[in-house]
Amino acid sequence: MLDLFDKIQESVAFIQSKWSKTPKAGIILGTGLGSLVEKIDVAVSIDYADIPHFPQSTAISHKGQLVCGTLNGLPVIAMEGRIHMYEGYPLKEITLPVRVMKALGADLLVCSNAVGGLNPYFSEGDIMLIEDQINLMGDNPLIGINDDRLGPRFPDMCEPYCHQLIERALRIARAQDIVAHQGVLVAVAGPNLETRAEYRFLRTIGADVVGMSTVPEVIVAIHAGMRVVGFSIITDMCLADALKPANVDEIIRIANEAEPKLTELVLGVLAEEAV
Amino acid sequence: MDFPTQINKAADYIANQWGTSPAFGIVLGTGAGQVADEIAVDLILPYEQIPLFPQSTATGHQGRLVCGQLAGANIIAMQGRFHLYEGYPVDLSTLPIHVMNQLGVKTLFISNASGGINPNYQSGEIMLIESHLDFMFRSTVHLSPPLGQQRPTQLSDLYDRELIEQAIACARKQNFVLHQGVYASMLGPNYETKAEYRFLKKVGADVVGMSTVPEVNVASRYSMRVLGMSVVSNVAKPDVLEATSGQEVIDAAAIAAPNLRALVVNAIDANEKPSLR
Repeated sequence: MLDLFDKIQESVAFIQSKWSKTPKAGIILGTGLGSLVEKIDVAVSIDYADIPHFPQSTAISHKGQLVCGTLNGLPVIAMEGRIHMYEGYPLKEITLPVRVMKALGADLLVCSNAVGGLNPYFSEGDIMLIEDQINLMGDNPLIGINDDRLGPRFPDMCEPYCHQLIERALRIARAQDIVAHQGVLVAVAGPNLETRAEYRFLRTIGADVVGMSTVPEVIVAIHAGMRVVGFSIITDMCLADALKPANVDEIIRIANEAEPKLTELVLGVLAEEAV
Repeated sequence: MDFPTQINKAADYIANQWGTSPAFGIVLGTGAGQVADEIAVDLILPYEQIPLFPQSTATGHQGRLVCGQLAGANIIAMQGRFHLYEGYPVDLSTLPIHVMNQLGVKTLFISNASGGINPNYQSGEIMLIESHLDFMFRSTVHLSPPLGQQRPTQLSDLYDRELIEQAIACARKQNFVLHQGVYASMLGPNYETKAEYRFLKKVGADVVGMSTVPEVNVASRYSMRVLGMSVVSNVAKPDVLEATSGQEVIDAAAIAAPNLRALVVNAIDANEKPSLR
């Protein structure tokens, strides 16, 4: 039953056979962070397919390789291509790379996602620092017998996203004249977009943005004792009473426009880690 | 092996070992184990001895059935339960309730430890579960039909009104605080975030926990009368949230234990006892 620990060790051993550095941070290059990979001084890129126990990505525009290298001198390991629950993977598989990052030595997780905006004060293209989360995915990556070597049975979630890192990111955003909010991410399984009634419901229960990822990875990162900083790009506004059909081309255009800003913020946050 | 056969095998084993039919069943949640100490024990069956019974993995849960008499009535007690966060499928996690029904249980006492959301609650107080909100995303209605005595599930009367009224009268007489309210169930195992507490508060929950709802749903299919008792471990204040500690849960349980015992004994006394064999 406790085979996860061994799987992690095997993945780690394989990666270490290709790359000997100890990463300080693990990065999940979600929507809007794709071009960050260009800033990484890449030592080696490994296809997920080659890494023991790694899941394969099926999503459009997600590549599926692990990039190892240094970002402004800071050793990092980055997932290019993330796996989603709606693709049909169990959450334990989806979150395995986070476990591997931690086991390699990373104690900070940086992640990003594309979200629909529920808070009417947000606009398309804005960035939101995730301050807190609501799990409405109907599943949890920690279900099963707990392996105490990986973390506690009942992890506390009173501050899943590190406030110090949120403050740092907001300070950098102000200095660079980038619009950045902080708020609550609610995660649903998807893959259909929400109905108007669901948007009203999610707004009513306190969510500022809605997405289909990130929450499982963050639960596992907290279980593993990592610090977390999460960025959401608001790619479309989901205001129930003025809802327009989602336009995928438009969403991708907005995500691409926001990408340089998000990249700046992540670089800034990580620059202060490299001490 | 199909599920009804599994139920029968486990029930037959217990019935053969004990030779008695209990009218009362009790599921003892975190820290409520000492209520079982009051039982005049005929027989203790560790779960691993019972054919096809699941095994408990949760810490602080002993994992055994205590069979005997409490307040003069035959009762079967679960010390240690099966949570969904442990990875059991929902039917396996509720197997003991099916087995209790098979053994003759008509009234089920069920307790748990919960996080308080209602700001009027305090650590160590008990809330009678008047209704529940199911956020576990694991339905029990597809279960194999109960053996011979199925009825449509009526979620409106899950928790027996008369048992609630009797419990409230008991608490008044014995002078301890007893609330009634809504229990929200989450899968867990992580504790809730601030945003999740606020969400649950907004939709009407008074406490939140990780158990009980699947068991109660099964009990209702057998028309069992259910008394649900939730021990408030700590009261979450989302605007000044502090980390939840295991010690708080244990301390609250110690405060609540004598009151839980009083409620259970009172309910047995107040309701018709089947003749002891």
